[in-house]
Amino acid sequence: MHITHLSLAGARSFRRLELPLTPGLHVVTGQNGSGKSNLLEGIALLATTRSLRIANDLELIAWDALRDDPLPAARYAARVHTAVDDNITIEVIVSARPATPGIEANAASRRFRVNGVARRASDLIGRLRVVLFSADDLGIIDGAPTARRRYLDITLSQLDPAYVRALQRYQRVLQQRNSLLRRLQERRGQPGELDFWDEELAQTGAMLITSRAHAIATLNTDAAQRYAALSTGSAPLEVCYRPALPPPLIETVASSTTSLAPKLLEALVVGRTRDIQAGTTRIGPHRDDVAFLIGGHPAGSTASRGELRGIALALRLAEVAFSTARTGDPPVLLLDDVLSELDAGRRARVLAAAFEVDQVIITSPDPDRPAPAELSAASRYRIDAGVLEPIG
Amino acid sequence: MQDRPPSSSSSPIQRLIEAFNRLPGIGPKSAQRLAYYILRAPADEARDLSAALVEVKERVVLCSRCQDITDQDPCRICTDASRDPAVLCVIEEPLDLRAIERTNSFHGRFHVLHGVISPSDGIGPDDLKIAELLVRLNGPDQEVREVIVATNPNLEGEATAMYLARLLGPLGIKVSRLARGLPSGADLEYADDVTLGRALEFRQSVE
Ligand SMILES: [Zn+2]
Repeated sequence: MHITHLSLAGARSFRRLELPLTPGLHVVTGQNGSGKSNLLEGIALLATTRSLRIANDLELIAWDALRDDPLPAARYAARVHTAVDDNITIEVIVSARPATPGIEANAASRRFRVNGVARRASDLIGRLRVVLFSADDLGIIDGAPTARRRYLDITLSQLDPAYVRALQRYQRVLQQRNSLLRRLQERRGQPGELDFWDEELAQTGAMLITSRAHAIATLNTDAAQRYAALSTGSAPLEVCYRPALPPPLIETVASSTTSLAPKLLEALVVGRTRDIQAGTTRIGPHRDDVAFLIGGHPAGSTASRGELRGIALALRLAEVAFSTARTGDPPVLLLDDVLSELDAGRRARVLAAAFEVDQVIITSPDPDRPAPAELSAASRYRIDAGVLEPIG
Repeated sequence: MQDRPPSSSSSPIQRLIEAFNRLPGIGPKSAQRLAYYILRAPADEARDLSAALVEVKERVVLCSRCQDITDQDPCRICTDASRDPAVLCVIEEPLDLRAIERTNSFHGRFHVLHGVISPSDGIGPDDLKIAELLVRLNGPDQEVREVIVATNPNLEGEATAMYLARLLGPLGIKVSRLARGLPSGADLEYADDVTLGRALEFRQSVE
């Protein structure tokens, strides 16, 4: 798939950007703070409906729009050509709230459209698929477990609308169940009131767990091979799923959702008393983790900086292949200033992957890295203060 | 230090802002806007509003049978002999009753829960009019054979429906749920995935 037109208005660094795009390679160079990362963030937002870095949606709106516009809003839009649809238009509109002149906005709401029709977030996610390589990827390996769960959720959500729906439902059910556990801890209500929430949690949770188990099994095989090629001499890489489940259940996570759900339900029911004491749900995908092992040792605490970078690259490259294999249509590659840090050998491996997809957008602070000779066919742009201009 | 109750220390406008702020869905800034609107409005408008507020508390009560808001108890629907005594439709809010009445498709009686089960909002079964429903089914409304649970098709509505189904099942009452599917007049192409998925799941055979 590829983006044929990108349009950003009142979005972060961009007052107004209309960018027609062809398939192939695009290199955007600019100083730090010029908006080049925001450009890729904006594209990733259209794929996932959420920003990867920004927790407060209000920050997705350009500051001057917030200051000057009576109804401040940001519009992120792209026209996308996929293997299934010749042409679809996706839009994410972020509006400041409250939208009352004279009263300062303190929150934002997001709305979504597909081909001009209002849709839910779950209907938009995955219409455009991207794999974003950035310096933040190291956090997937050496950061907190939440970073690894978010990596899985972003990857799987783009591939499977049913995963998005299960995730959204799981999170709402979990919040309700935890509230009920605290009520029961205070002896308000009957444990039988947990029945509905436990069944829902088991249904949606089993879907998330089996999806994650299958994805990690595939990514593990592929990432291990790619890591071996990227890091000659290093001990082998292993990517292992660590589901937060009682030990007997862990053996069954690679089975089907329909066979896992009743077992998960049973474990939830058995664990009720302790969950009530804890005031929280102690098992389930919200506590999952992924282990990255180098020669059997956790990479986060033992690997060198160069090894961590190698793991992150291998994982992203495996993700590109996974996304292509699952859908038959390669995702758009976004490389956010990752090439300049790599040696020539690793840079060549990443660029080789770039030639296997329809479209790649690369940012770099240095017009010479990647050098024009390495990417002779690339379209080149310069970006400064949110204004993008083609070079040559 | 002066020792005065908070109400006398705040100005009338401050008290009004605080009163609005206590209403559901009204934040401090909206409360402020409403209060200043009242301040600038003609005196008649403020008098009408305060009279309506007092009247709603004095004149309108809940029907002791169906829990709908009414100015006579039992309400008109509960005393209407032409209504089918075998079917009871359980709804979340009084507004839902008006919506179902407008369809002219339902001829039984109603029961208003005044909410749905939602632990994160601090609402359990005991906070709804469920005890009142059981009293009805065991007493004056023993003829009821079917309860249609018409809660919203969201998580909390489903939780409430399942709770009622498990509660009423042992009484030998049939519990049904509103069908979910495509809105009539809708275009398939524009239906969202969830709605379309459910319409497929709950498909009907063509007679
Ligand atoms: Zn009544």
